[in-house]
Amino acid sequence: MQKYIWLVPLLPLIGAAINGLLGRKLRFSERLIGGIAVGSVALSFLISVAAIYSYGFGGHAEWPKPYVTSQDGFSFNWIPGGMVSINQGIQEHMAVEVHKKAEEQLAAMTPEERAQRPAILIGVAETPRFALLNIEWSYQLDPLSSIFMLIVTGVGLCIFVFATGYMHGEAGFYRFFAYMGLFMFAMLVLVMGSNFLMMFVGWEGVGLCSYLLIGYYFDRQEAANASRKAFITNRVGDFGFALAIFGIIATFGSAQYTEVFEQAKSFPIELLGNWGILSWIALGLFVGACGKSAQLPLHVWLPDAMAGPTPVSALIHAATMVTAGLYMVTRTNVIFQHSQTMLLVVALVGAATAIFAATIGITQNDIKKVLAYSTVSQLGFMFMACGVGAFVIAIFHVMTHAFFKALMFLGAGSVIHGMHHEQDMRRMGGLKKYMPYTYWTFFAGWLAICGIIPFSGFWSKDEILWNAASTTYIPLGWIVWLVGTIAATCTAFYMTRLMAMTFWGKERFLAGAGGEADEAHASAYDKGLAPHDATRPSAGDRPRHEPGEHVGPVHEDVAHHVATHGAHEDSGHGHGAHIPHESPPSMWVPLAVLAVLAVIGGFVGIGPAFKPVTGTEHPGGRLHIVNWLNPIIWNPLTREFNTAEGGHEAPATEAEHTELVAGEFVQAPYRDTGFNLAHSVNNATHNHLATEWIFIIISLIVAGIGILLGFLFYVWRPQLAGIWAQRLRPLYNASYNKYWVDELYGLTITRRTMDVARGVFAFDSKLVDGIVNGLAWLSRQLSRIVGGVDKYLVDGLVNTVAAFIARLMSPLFRAAQTGFTQNYALVMVLGLMVAVVVFFARDIITAFGK
Amino acid sequence: MLNFFNPIVALLLQDALRTRFDLMRDAAANPDLSKFLVIGALLFIIGVAGVLTRRNIIVIFMSIELILNAANLNFIAFSRYLHEMGSVNAAAGQIFTVFVIVVAAAEAAIGLGIVIALYRNKETIWVDEIDLLKW
Repeated sequence: MQKYIWLVPLLPLIGAAINGLLGRKLRFSERLIGGIAVGSVALSFLISVAAIYSYGFGGHAEWPKPYVTSQDGFSFNWIPGGMVSINQGIQEHMAVEVHKKAEEQLAAMTPEERAQRPAILIGVAETPRFALLNIEWSYQLDPLSSIFMLIVTGVGLCIFVFATGYMHGEAGFYRFFAYMGLFMFAMLVLVMGSNFLMMFVGWEGVGLCSYLLIGYYFDRQEAANASRKAFITNRVGDFGFALAIFGIIATFGSAQYTEVFEQAKSFPIELLGNWGILSWIALGLFVGACGKSAQLPLHVWLPDAMAGPTPVSALIHAATMVTAGLYMVTRTNVIFQHSQTMLLVVALVGAATAIFAATIGITQNDIKKVLAYSTVSQLGFMFMACGVGAFVIAIFHVMTHAFFKALMFLGAGSVIHGMHHEQDMRRMGGLKKYMPYTYWTFFAGWLAICGIIPFSGFWSKDEILWNAASTTYIPLGWIVWLVGTIAATCTAFYMTRLMAMTFWGKERFLAGAGGEADEAHASAYDKGLAPHDATRPSAGDRPRHEPGEHVGPVHEDVAHHVATHGAHEDSGHGHGAHIPHESPPSMWVPLAVLAVLAVIGGFVGIGPAFKPVTGTEHPGGRLHIVNWLNPIIWNPLTREFNTAEGGHEAPATEAEHTELVAGEFVQAPYRDTGFNLAHSVNNATHNHLATEWIFIIISLIVAGIGILLGFLFYVWRPQLAGIWAQRLRPLYNASYNKYWVDELYGLTITRRTMDVARGVFAFDSKLVDGIVNGLAWLSRQLSRIVGGVDKYLVDGLVNTVAAFIARLMSPLFRAAQTGFTQNYALVMVLGLMVAVVVFFARDIITAFGK
Repeated sequence: MLNFFNPIVALLLQDALRTRFDLMRDAAANPDLSKFLVIGALLFIIGVAGVLTRRNIIVIFMSIELILNAANLNFIAFSRYLHEMGSVNAAAGQIFTVFVIVVAAAEAAIGLGIVIALYRNKETIWVDEIDLLKW
C-alpha cells in the first residue's frame, strides 16, 4: 500500500473539485455532497491506515526506517532547477566563525574538561560548492508524517461526518465541503511532502482554506474581518518561513528533507551566545510556526477565527492546521537542536503563550472563545515540549490534543446547534438533562484536558512538564516547568467553569436575552451599528434554517415547555427562549468516536514512570509513540538520528533517564545548563522513579486544585465568581479584554499602517494624479489647437484641390462611358492587341523586321 | 543526255516521281500544324470583327460561336500534332473541345433567353439601341 500514498491527498481534492465545481450547477443534494466529501476522506483514511500498517508493521517491514520516501510510487520533477552555488550564502563565514570560537573555548579548557568536551565537527568545506537543485513532487511516508496522516484523515473524517449534520440547511453546503476537501488536500500535502517547498505549498494552501472557511459567512462583517486578520497575521509568519527556506536552499543546496538533514547533522552545535546560520534558519522557521500555530506575538487571529462554522474551528483551528507549526519544528528538529538559543526561545515563547492564553480563557463567556484560548494555550504546551528537546512528546500532545479538542469543539457545536445558535455560556446551564450524549462525551474531553490520570491528556501533559523540569537542552527549565504547571491549573479551572456553566447548574436558557446574549449583536450594539434587539434573528455563527422551520425532533417538547413556562416568544429562530434538544446521530456518533479516542488515546505514550507496572520504559513496542518517532529525532549525543528501538541510543530525554538512574551526570551536548529542577529533586531522593512520581503527583494535584476551584466558584458557591471578579477587578479586566493585545496592535501597527496608506494615497491622489491630470489638460489644449489647424488649413487645402480636379476631369471620364456593349468590347480587343504587341514585341520584330 | 528508256534511269525516275507524288499526297491528307492555326486565326478574326461591328445581337452570337470554334480548331490541331509527336496525353485537346461545345450550347441557350427577355422589354435586338451599361 505504500505505493499508493499519493492517493491520500488526491482523493479529498477530487471530492472537493466535484463538490465545488458541479455542486451548485447540478444542484447536488446535501446527501450527495456529504457522501462525496465523507467518502473521499474515508477512503483516504483507509489508504493511510493500510499504508502505515504495511510501513511499520507489515511482514517485511524494516525498522527503523528514518526518512523513507515513497518516491517510487509517485513523484515527478516539480521544479527542475539548475546549478546553485552554495558558496554565496553566509554559511562558510558563519561556520568558520563558530569554529574559531569553539577553538578558543577549547584552548581555555583544562585537560579534564577537554576530554569531556562536546564533539565539534566542521562540516563545511572551504572550497566553493555547487549543487543541482531539483525539487520533486513526491510524498514521504515516515513515522512523523504517518502520525499526522492519521490525525488529519481520522479526526477529519469524524469532523466531516459531524459537519454533514451541523451544516444541514445551509445555502452554501456545497461550498463548505469544497473548501473542507481542499483544506484536507493542502494539509496532507503539508505533512506528506518530502521537501520544504511542498511543505510551503501545503502551508499556504491551509492558510488559504482557513481564510475561506473563517469567512464562510462572508456577509457578516466580523467574519470577513476575522478571515482577513487570520490571513494577514499568517503572512507575517509565512514571510519568516519563506526566508528560512531560502536560507536552507542557500546553505544546503537542496530542499529535500533527507539531503538537508544529512548535511545539517554534521554542522557544529551553536550554543547559547553563538548565533550561526542554523540559528537564523531556525528563527525563520519558528516565526512561521508562530504564525500558523498562534504563538504569542502572532496569536491574535486564532480567537477571532471562531467566526467560522464550528466544524471548521474543530478541524482547522484545533486539531490539524494549527499544529502544522509543531509538525514543522519537529520535522526540522535537527536544525532546532543545533541552536540552543532557538530552543530556549521556543520553550519560553511556548510557556508564555500557555499561561497567557490560559488566563484569558478563564474570563471569556463565549463557549467557542474559551475553547479557542484553550487551544492557544495547549499549543503553547507543545512548543514548550519542543523547546526543552522533547519533540516526540510534543507530537504526542498534538495527537491527544487533536482528539480531545476536536471532541470539545464538536461538542460545543452540538451545544450551539441544540441551543438554537446560542453561544453565550451565561444563557446555558443544566444542559446535561437535555443533551446526554453531548454531555457525556464532553465530560470525557474535560477529564482528558484537565489531566486526570487514565485519560489521554494526562499522559502527554505530564510528560511535557516532566521533560521541562528535567531538560538538559536549555537553561531555565524550571521556570518553564513552573509556568506550565500554573497554566495547567488554569486549564483545569476554566474547563471546569465551562462544564459548570454549560452542562450543570441552573437552566438559564429560558430567561429572555440579556444584555450580551449574542456577541455579534452585542458588538454591533456597542459600536452603535444596530439597536440591540434580542428577539431579532441573528446571522451569527450558526446554521441558518428556513424561517419558521423548527430544527430537531422535539418540536412538541418545545411547544409543551412553552405552554408551561410561557416564556417562548420566537418559535423557530432568534433569541427567544428555547428548549435545547439533543443533536442528530450524524453529530453525536463522531462525538462518541472522539470521546473513546480521548479516553484511550494516551495509552500509546505511557511514561517511563510506570515501569514497575508495565515492565518496560516504553511499553507497546512500535505502538509506543516514543519508539515510533525515534528514527526521525536527531540525537545530539551521538550526532546521528536515533536508530535502535528503545536501546542505548534512545532520545536525549531517555538518555537522561538512564543517567539519572545511574545517579551521575554525563556531559550533555549542551554543557551545563544551570539549575535543573529534576536533578535537584533526584539528588534529594536518590531515586529516579520517586522523582518522576513526585512530578506526576504535583501535576495531578494542580489539576485537582483547578477542578476544585472551578467547582467552588461555579457549582457550590456561584456568587463567589462575581465577588472575586470585583475584588480582582484590574486582573479580571485585563483577562476579559485579552490583555488589550488587539488594541495594542491596532494602535501600534494597524492604525499606523492605515496612516501610511492614507499618506501614500494622498501623495498618489494629489501629486501623482495632479501631474497626470495636468498633462491631460495640457494635451487637451494642444489637441484643440492642432484640431483647428487640421480642420481649417489642411482640410481646406485638400477640399479645394479635390474640387478643382473633380470639376476638371469629370466631363472626360463621363464621355468615355457610352453604355454600348460593343464599345467596351472594342476596348477589350484593343487592349488585347496592345498586350499582344507588348508581350510578343521581340517575335514581331524578328518576324517583320527582316 | 538522259536516256529515259534506260531501265535503270527509268527506275530511278519512277522512284523519284513516286516519292514526290507520295509526299504531295501525304501533305494533302495530313496538312501541317500551321495551316490549322492560320485557319483558326482567320476564324477568330472574323468572329471578333463580327462581334464588334454587327448590330444585330443574333449575329453577334453567331460571331461568338465562330470565336469559340476557332479555339476548338486549335485544340484539335494541337491534339493531333502532339499525337504525332508521340505524346500520350494528346486526347486532352479533343476532350476540351467537347467541353467547349457543351459550354457554347449552354451559353447560346442562356444568351437567347436573355435576348428574348430583352426583346420583350425593349422591343429591339439592335445593340446600339441598348445603352444600359451607361453610368
